Amino acid sequence: MQTPPAIPVPVLRLPRGPDGLSRGFAPDGRRALLKPEVPEIPESPVDQESRESQEQRARAVLRERYLRSLLAMVGRQVSFTLHEGVRVTAYFGATDLDVANFYVSQLQTPIGVQAEALLRCSDIIAYTFKP
Amino acid sequence: MNEWMKKGPLEWQEYTYKEVRVTASDKEYKGWVLTTDPVSANVVLVNILEDGSMSVTGIMGHAVQTVDIVNEGDHTVREKLMNLFMCGDCKAYSPEDLEKRKNSLKKWLEKNHIPITEQGDSQKTLCVAGVLTIDPPYGPENCNSSNEIILSRVQDLIQGHLAASQ
Repeated sequence: MQTPPAIPVPVLRLPRGPDGLSRGFAPDGRRALLKPEVPEIPESPVDQESRESQEQRARAVLRERYLRSLLAMVGRQVSFTLHEGVRVTAYFGATDLDVANFYVSQLQTPIGVQAEALLRCSDIIAYTFKP
Repeated sequence: MNEWMKKGPLEWQEYTYKEVRVTASDKEYKGWVLTTDPVSANVVLVNILEDGSMSVTGIMGHAVQTVDIVNEGDHTVREKLMNLFMCGDCKAYSPEDLEKRKNSLKKWLEKNHIPITEQGDSQKTLCVAGVLTIDPPYGPENCNSSNEIILSRVQDLIQGHLAASQ
């Protein structure tokens, strides 16, 4: 196949961070908790590599299925179970990357209906819907 | 972080397609595991209700107390769960149709001097020059590659091929 002439790709520059020096992501801004380091019996580099690639493949498969399940929820009515046995229903909109927040609309609460709302994952125990 | 969240992806994968009982915040949930999100450790369970409809429940990773396997499951449940939410258009084609589409596309790409091989389990995935893969049902949107130039080129070729064979 002949290589076509290189097409210049537009570069997106992220805005400067709050400290005025960095770009985009804060160095310790990681919201998803890192797994605690578990001291392992030393493995040979080959074993370690193949186990890491196995883990990564598993991670990718699990994540893809989860993202597709979230996609199937969009626009549907979802029932959220919160603390103290409180149940609310709303139309699911989206979550963010770490699934830390759920963006919903028409949230039915005991004190009325909220047009748009953001549910924190720490407030949610479980959610359920019918595909 | 609770015990469940400390597990690794290979451990989480072990629970997939099995029927489990999960306790979360002193509530019990039972169902077939569709997946566990590696980022948040959220568990997604599927339940088939009496009227045949399905209900999907996501339990937040931070709330999970215990997870016990109740049923190892069999390959019929596995098949049903595997296809849930996945490649909706795959179901429209029979295995023979998919095979014909694959071979027809392979010939077309070879005619255009594109190095193409078959790979994966049951040779279902096409691989172009080692940098781009095409999954069934072999449409332009089924291409995967990190090289956007090759991706766009191959997508155009597939588009042209599909248009010509219509």
